Amino acid sequence: MTDHTVACSYKIPVGPLHVALEEPMYFRVAVKGETIETVELNAGHVHRGVEYLATKRTLLQNMILTERICSLCSNSHPEALAMAAETIGAVEVPERAQYLRVIAGEVKRVASHLFNVGILAHLVGYEALFMHAMQVREVAQDLKEAVYGNRMDLGAHCLGGTRCDMDDEAITYMRSALDKLEPDVRELEKTYRTNGSILRRTRGIGILSHADAIACGVVGPVARASGIQYDVRTAAPYHVYDRLPVNVPVLDGCDVWSRAMIRLSEAVNSIEILRVCLDQLPEGPINDGGDPYIPPGQAIARTEAPRGELVYYLKTNDNPEPERLKWRVPSYPNWDALTFMLKEAKVADIAIIVNSIDPCISCTER
Amino acid sequence: MNFLQLFAHNLTQGPFTDPFPFQPAPTAKRFRGKIEFDPETCEGCRKCEKVCPAGAIRFTKTDKGLEFDCWHDSCVFCGNCEFHCPTNAIHQTQDWHLAHVQQDKYSMVAHGVIPSHECPSCGKPALFTAAPANKVKGFSEAEIAEFRALCPKCRGKYLRDRKSR
Ligand code: SF4
Ligand code: SF4
Repeated sequence: MTDHTVACSYKIPVGPLHVALEEPMYFRVAVKGETIETVELNAGHVHRGVEYLATKRTLLQNMILTERICSLCSNSHPEALAMAAETIGAVEVPERAQYLRVIAGEVKRVASHLFNVGILAHLVGYEALFMHAMQVREVAQDLKEAVYGNRMDLGAHCLGGTRCDMDDEAITYMRSALDKLEPDVRELEKTYRTNGSILRRTRGIGILSHADAIACGVVGPVARASGIQYDVRTAAPYHVYDRLPVNVPVLDGCDVWSRAMIRLSEAVNSIEILRVCLDQLPEGPINDGGDPYIPPGQAIARTEAPRGELVYYLKTNDNPEPERLKWRVPSYPNWDALTFMLKEAKVADIAIIVNSIDPCISCTER
Repeated sequence: MNFLQLFAHNLTQGPFTDPFPFQPAPTAKRFRGKIEFDPETCEGCRKCEKVCPAGAIRFTKTDKGLEFDCWHDSCVFCGNCEFHCPTNAIHQTQDWHLAHVQQDKYSMVAHGVIPSHECPSCGKPALFTAAPANKVKGFSEAEIAEFRALCPKCRGKYLRDRKSR
């Protein structure tokens, strides 16, 4: 009898390549039959020493370096770094620049969320929906390229403001792109809400209970899908978020589906925020040369990246290079929650569950 | 979502991919591509070299003058150099056609020389750099040309003399 149980229980490696996205993460899963018993997470495959590198670069160079830590949250990293440096130097960011910062952040949020829900459809095996979601996302990609000159790394921020201004042409382009995007995103939301293939594979899968979510300290859409109403944009409004219609959707399904739905309704909300920003965009300067004096000191800054709360700590001294630059990325606590989500899950659902936290390995391990 | 409708739409409106390389791919007007350098308008302040996070830009002093090199294969197209350049002497173009064969990898460089010449006032060697815009505000064309030819020391003297005039 005992022999029989031992024979049924296996340890299988999942990863490090191609678990959900093309990023390396490695799990050792003990399975019994098709059900997962325990999960061990192994990290460190893409550690590149970026934190050390950052202390060898000047702040102006770090504005670019940090943007390249992560692709989908690329905008939030230099944003948080600039906010930390501006706190130390007591640098005032012009109002127009604050609006432009919000615009850059929300455009990235739409594109990031659409990418994640698109990949979900791919993992479910619904390739037609996957391609359609990516096609919809392409509008956001084109928008980034047209306004910022690059599809991923916007280079929107500089110390004390933004680098890229929006003229009438860019504003008109953005408005028409949003008009194109909105009905499609709403349609996608409806599909994810009602489509049988999606519902069968995602509802009740990857459960992270409210209590476990609090214990793991998860952030972003993962937290909001487990009933935690927390969003830095409303909890500690930065830039001009206190003047904008930020809607923080909360669901208590605690499953993969709820996380996808949160992302889709946030994408719709981001489009609304963008429209309001374009309407309210004040005239004025957007930066003060981008090279303000930053005295020795230390500061912390928080932003809401598409994946959740991003925290930056910056310590400066008399050198142009920071003494210490450290960040806590949203995937770090969310990753930990995977042990709860994967418990008792089916082997076939591993990729779907992993994708549901929208993991960013490259910024977690930097 | 009605997928039959979507298929019909894609069949009539598609394909949505660009037929590159058989036709040119559309490129945004603001696209941040290959670096271009103009030694005519460069002040030689070397700010671009300092802010470049990739170390793609190098200035070297040679007999010819101040030589500028930007290695396209090291450049990450961030546009930091362009943003911090006071004169727009360095800027990004819409050109993204940087694919090349292995043999050419050391020639993927934007090169420029700020020539060295003799200062017409003191005869010492000087770089023929552009005149900083904030210093020559209100100058006439001829004055700018005169000022530009001078070495840094004589430029200072020129400014003082002009002020007292
Ligand atoms: S290109 Fe611009 S930033 Fe670089 S040295 Fe010349 S003037 Fe200065
Ligand atoms: S675009 Fe960026 S990486 Fe390229 S030369 Fe300019 S500063 Fe350096």
